[in-house]
Amino acid sequence: MTSDRSFPATGKQRQFDALVRSLSGDLFRYAYWLSGDEALAHDLVQETFLRAWRALDDLRETTAAKAWLITILRREHARLYERKVPQFTDIDDVDVPEERESQLPEFAGEEGLIRSAMLQLDPKYREPLLLQVLGGFSCDEIARELNITPAAVMTQVFRARQKLKVILAGGKPQGDVVELS
Amino acid sequence: MNCLEFRRQLGVDPHAGGDFAQHRHECSRCADAHARAIGFEKAIRSAFEIPVPERLAESILLAQATNAQRRHRQFRQRATWTAAAAGIVLAFGIGLRLQAKPLPELAINHLKKEAFVLGKTQPISDESIRKAFDTFGVTMHDIPAGASFVACCPVGKYVSVHLVVPESEGPVTLLYLVDDHSEQRLDFIKDGWFGRTVPLAHGTLVLIGHDAAHFDQLETSWRNALRTATYKT
Repeated sequence: MTSDRSFPATGKQRQFDALVRSLSGDLFRYAYWLSGDEALAHDLVQETFLRAWRALDDLRETTAAKAWLITILRREHARLYERKVPQFTDIDDVDVPEERESQLPEFAGEEGLIRSAMLQLDPKYREPLLLQVLGGFSCDEIARELNITPAAVMTQVFRARQKLKVILAGGKPQGDVVELS
Repeated sequence: MNCLEFRRQLGVDPHAGGDFAQHRHECSRCADAHARAIGFEKAIRSAFEIPVPERLAESILLAQATNAQRRHRQFRQRATWTAAAAGIVLAFGIGLRLQAKPLPELAINHLKKEAFVLGKTQPISDESIRKAFDTFGVTMHDIPAGASFVACCPVGKYVSVHLVVPESEGPVTLLYLVDDHSEQRLDFIKDGWFGRTVPLAHGTLVLIGHDAAHFDQLETSWRNALRTATYKT
């Protein structure tokens, strides 16, 4: 990869390479669950890292890199929707694809059922759960990232799990549902 | 922590520690619920971990390298254009400044800068004088005698053949400004120097010395030599 560059790798470049190699996978997954689209997730991750490269000097602690990158990615995702101009197509011109998302290979089997269920979750529940399970962040860290209170985060991740169970049970509540006060 | 609090916490974060972990060890029903929750957590985590596109990191690094090179190139182009623009402005400014200075001042300034040549007394060859004029497309057929120095010099906005002729009253500097037609014949005194500008057919002859006694004789001999010279058009 370094052979693609015409200039020698600097300390900054090495740091960036390490960040990309260690965190691009997690960021892609995060972007995918945020946007629900693989191609869009790829673009989001790429744009996130390009912005990160330009602002790499601002990153003082490498241990905070993941949270920093996720913040950039979330902003980039939000920007995407600010820029996006909806294109309307007459309903008669819409082709209905035979293949549904749930029929794609990654949606087959038990994991596939859970993935489909996750896509049905409201983003306000899915995102904190994603940050907790995939990102490994604490409720306080999620609260800071999403700019909500820790109590709200706790409620949302709790409800997210309950709703997932309900969806997986075919719409019926499974077991005891205990909501936080 | 009681069972209700445990079940609440289980839904929030089944990996919590502290009181939560302690209650799990003390209550078998909650421990079973925890085991189920951990199984569900694993399933969620596994489901979240969708396949990452092959060579994702490489494609990002390639995009970054391409982007960095493009920015570097843009920066260099911008710097080049800025430098060029600054150069033009500077050159224009210098041009205006040089043009604004009258010829006697330009000539005296040049003479001062090259004052060391005034001490030269050994006669130089006609060939070296011929070469200097040839540089500007002037072929000299007759070379007046007596010059001790010759060089091609820029004088302000002009190009010139710079000559020194040692005389008994001191050296006289002759500057032949190639292709200058704008100056009028003029005798001047500046900074203790006597001077004379002589407009000719293809340029201007300037004479400068601390004494003007030999100006007429030198003007005549060099005017004749330059009149018989051949000029490339």
